[in-house]
Amino acid sequence: MMWLAWRQHRKQALFAAVGLAVLAALVIPTGISMRNAFTDSGLAACLRGLGTTEFLRGDGCDSLSDMFSGRYETLATLSMLFVFLPLLVGLFWGAPLVARELEHGTHRLVWTQGVSRMHWAGVKLGLVLAVTVVAAAGYALMVSWWLGPLNQAGQSRMAELSFDVQGIAPVAYTLFAVALGVFAGTVWRRVMPAMAAALVGFLALRLVVLVQLRGNFLPAHERTFPVIGQERPNPTLGDWTFSTGIKNAAGEVMSTGEQIQCGPAVAGRPDTICAPYGPGAYNFELYQPAGNYWPLQFIEAGLFTAVAAVLLFLAVRQIRSRIA
Amino acid sequence: MNLALEAHSLGKRYKRNWALRDCSLQVPAGRVAALVGPNGAGKSTLLNLAVGLLRPTEGTLHVLGRRPDGDRDLLDRVGFVAQDTPLYPDFTVSELITMGARLNRRWDTPLARDRMEQIGIPLDRRVEGLSGGQRAQVALTLALAKRPELLLLDEPVASLDPLARREFMQVLMGSVADGDTTVLLSSHLLGDLERVCDYLIVLQTAHVQLLGGVDELVNEHKALTGPRRQRADVAGVAAVIRESHTDKQTTLLVRTNGPILDPAWTVHDVTLEDLVLAYLAYPAPGRAVLGVAK
Amino acid sequence: MIEFLLDGHSQVAPYMQLVQQVKQGLRTGLIEPGDQLPKVRSVAESLAINPNTVLKAYRHLEAEGLVEGRPGVGTFVRRTLAGPSLAGQAELRRELVGWLRRARTAGLEQEDVVALIQTTMRATFQDDEKREEIA
Repeated sequence: MMWLAWRQHRKQALFAAVGLAVLAALVIPTGISMRNAFTDSGLAACLRGLGTTEFLRGDGCDSLSDMFSGRYETLATLSMLFVFLPLLVGLFWGAPLVARELEHGTHRLVWTQGVSRMHWAGVKLGLVLAVTVVAAAGYALMVSWWLGPLNQAGQSRMAELSFDVQGIAPVAYTLFAVALGVFAGTVWRRVMPAMAAALVGFLALRLVVLVQLRGNFLPAHERTFPVIGQERPNPTLGDWTFSTGIKNAAGEVMSTGEQIQCGPAVAGRPDTICAPYGPGAYNFELYQPAGNYWPLQFIEAGLFTAVAAVLLFLAVRQIRSRIA
Repeated sequence: MNLALEAHSLGKRYKRNWALRDCSLQVPAGRVAALVGPNGAGKSTLLNLAVGLLRPTEGTLHVLGRRPDGDRDLLDRVGFVAQDTPLYPDFTVSELITMGARLNRRWDTPLARDRMEQIGIPLDRRVEGLSGGQRAQVALTLALAKRPELLLLDEPVASLDPLARREFMQVLMGSVADGDTTVLLSSHLLGDLERVCDYLIVLQTAHVQLLGGVDELVNEHKALTGPRRQRADVAGVAAVIRESHTDKQTTLLVRTNGPILDPAWTVHDVTLEDLVLAYLAYPAPGRAVLGVAK
Repeated sequence: MIEFLLDGHSQVAPYMQLVQQVKQGLRTGLIEPGDQLPKVRSVAESLAINPNTVLKAYRHLEAEGLVEGRPGVGTFVRRTLAGPSLAGQAELRRELVGWLRRARTAGLEQEDVVALIQTTMRATFQDDEKREEIA
């Protein structure tokens, strides 16, 4: 049975290997040069100097990190495309796994050889899932390493999309995508509809978790600092700030989506932008602290792995008793 | 009697439609049984049940003395060629043979290779490069290489041209002569199977219409012709399957249970084809008419 | 060795066609005592017919004493049909020719003759068989 599973999926395994090799060829040289630039420009030392101070006065490392981020902006943006890799695996490995057999009727050939259906499903799913985990882990490790300097320079690894391409979450997304593809294949029984269903299902759950759930997995923290003053939050802490605004002295929200700051010298002058908010007004931001990165990763990975397990269970049930 | 396949009140329902209902039949071991009926009569359903691809909704089914539920002990002993002979299009013939060797405990690789050589199918040819007839031959060879006790073939020649049909049947009959495999094969055309079968099952709208050994069936059915009259009881006639009238003559196709001595009737033998056509038009679906099984 | 043919449109049962072809061969001298009949497998394969049909034909011939099966070897011809009947055939044929001419003079068409011969033949042979059974 191993022979058959390998014979049927060796092309996909080859694609995975080639894909990983291409990724490595892209990521490793640029990653090394990025690390060199990170150190050589003095940004690394500057950031070390800042440490984890919560508030900053003055420039901090902003100019250095702006320069650094600016230089690698395009690559960093491109790297966000990696967010679709798990989906591709789900579409091209997961969806055809059972659907192609059903579409061509070859399940009637293979399920009537001297191998039970459960054994067949076990070996096929086992092999594909194993290759999936290895490939996804390889990709996640590479991207995590590669994004390291950019994360430190202020592009928080907890931010949307950045969070989604590193750590252990991508492995879980890939498992979910494959399981969803397999399950869709057992329901729709044709490759194209199964792929379409997997596409829609994958994007739907990912978006719902990203937009609605992730910020609420753990209680958010609130950080405040006065409108009049010179202390501002350190942008390189790696927090994930998902809501900002201004409140007046009474704690009422006056404005959202912006933060302002005026020097003490202009306090009391009516023509400054800070004047309308009255004395004692302060900026606020809701955020997940950088320290919650791994807990959030585990929660998110756990969620998607659990969904994948349920889908695989349903798929196996379909294979065992519903399909002929 | 040693039975290769035995069904009692077997039924299979898909959502609201019964594909097979109240189906009771036996296939004695060592026979070549034809499963004949129009498209949609339930032939594929019966074969898929027999090989464990489907589970019965009701009734019982035994194949080689076991319930087919997809376990490998039974699958090892049953060869199956599904409708349209599905094969992996990107596999070579040789790889398909390797696949069979890896998946089956009983497997005769030399037999499979020799057969391919005899028929002239190159082992390194990919399935997608084979003709329909060659694909059918490969599928048959894969089933035969299991050295099965029961061989199930679902419309094996339906999509083949006459020459490929004959070649397929030649190989099949040669293999039947080699061993004591029981064969159950289906077709919507009796003509495809008339020469090869010695046992017959006629299915019509999910029910068994006729069942029995070919010789027995042909012997016990007769065509009677005589002057036109209303049908009356004729000694020796168990059932009238079909009757037709002209101005002066009445023709009956009957199942007999004894010699017909009434001088008013002329008794003719019937062919298997007449018989099957009469039963397919027989207006009592649901009533199984059982022939004598030897 | 004899090669069998099957007429798919014939009303005669396939096994009987095989029997008739063997007998025909014996009558015409195509096959002789000691000759081997084709193996069941090769007949089944070349004609694409059920091997049981071939077996049935061979058993029928065996029951008539024309052939014998030697287990593991094959089926062999024991005696011929050519000898005794060939001599009598000329005489019978001459009589039949005379009868046919009379029938024609009496106004019978070819088909009338065939019908007459067939019905008479069936009736006569049936009577004879019954008489034999009673005896």
